[in-house]
Amino acid sequence: MFDAYPKLVVLKDGTPVFLRPMVLQDEEGLNHFFSRIPERERWFRRENVSDPQVIRSWFQQMDYQRVLPMVAVRESDGLIVANLSLHRRAWGCLSHVGHIRIMVDPVYRGQRLGTWMLLDLVKLAMGMGVEKLVAEFVAGVEDAAMRGVQKLDFFKAAVLEDYVKDPQGGYHDLVIMVKNLHRDWSDF
Amino acid sequence: MCPNPGQINEQRVETPRGELLFRALCPPEFFLGLKLDPGLGRFAHYSSMIQKLEMFQRIASGEDGNVILALADGNTVVGYACCYYPSPGERWAALGKLMYEMGAIEVSRNWRNLGIAQKLVHMATDRDFYEEKIAYMNGFSWHWDLEGTGFTLAQYRQMMINLMKPYGFKEYPTNEPNVAIREENVFLARIGSRVSELDIRRFRKLLFGILETN
Repeated sequence: MFDAYPKLVVLKDGTPVFLRPMVLQDEEGLNHFFSRIPERERWFRRENVSDPQVIRSWFQQMDYQRVLPMVAVRESDGLIVANLSLHRRAWGCLSHVGHIRIMVDPVYRGQRLGTWMLLDLVKLAMGMGVEKLVAEFVAGVEDAAMRGVQKLDFFKAAVLEDYVKDPQGGYHDLVIMVKNLHRDWSDF
Repeated sequence: MCPNPGQINEQRVETPRGELLFRALCPPEFFLGLKLDPGLGRFAHYSSMIQKLEMFQRIASGEDGNVILALADGNTVVGYACCYYPSPGERWAALGKLMYEMGAIEVSRNWRNLGIAQKLVHMATDRDFYEEKIAYMNGFSWHWDLEGTGFTLAQYRQMMINLMKPYGFKEYPTNEPNVAIREENVFLARIGSRVSELDIRRFRKLLFGILETN
């Protein structure tokens, strides 16, 4: 499944970047990557990615069947510039669903890097038998990312009003976006 | 690298359905008197990419055009592969004769699962010519016979990748609009061993619509 990696993508400004699955040697690079994400954005992650112990636990539990982590690295020096993960359940009523989390280095936003990573993940997920992809976004914080996934046919499936709190105590809606991965062409 | 480099224009292969003649680099006049197997054609959910022998003639007449056929009974086309330079309007034509397309591979519905597609690709790519080219193939899902194969889009896509992989083709992301319009579509390419670093760089940029001039 990972034979084709690393895959090269060229960003809008001409920067070559490789997409590939994350490997054990990426721990330091990933810590460095998250240190460049604004604190306000890190706040909304499910885990405290500022804590190297949290990142270490990801690497200690690395299991591509459960969580498939992908990184985008700059060709020139291997700097991690984006991180995306596909979370799956091996068993039960949600085994056909994949949850996505994505984060792009602020310097590389607006360069279609997130789009390329998501598109690549969609292809991978199709091959893994995933039927639905789900991504959550914080309204008012991750609006640009939300608009980006809409262009990849994610649709707004639900809004949990005033569900999350920002560091100042203000409430934000949590928007749940879903994309169906089709098995075949419709007969329309 | 292509397996067993060399150039074989004609080969007879025994299959459980009988002997097939594989022929590469067919000259334009070769197609006179041939017929297409009924498993190639127009069906409810699927149509063959090539439905008339004249198309083979046209491709074979073009510069470096290569039609590879699998023939039953000496004159019935049961499978084919066609290779040619990209048309002037296509993105890849911007790199001139560096780019070479494997434009179509198809096996009749009546002759599948016999290894015919692999043999066609093998005969198509088994030429030193490819070492100076970037050979590519577009996998457009609207051409895929999902009904006839029983595959899902994901399975068909993987089948194409698996078919081309032994011949050095790998998947490349691209924003070429025809590929990018459907996420299951796939762009596969093989960079020949004598392609220069400069041309590789130009190709890498062209994948994303950036044309770098020499």
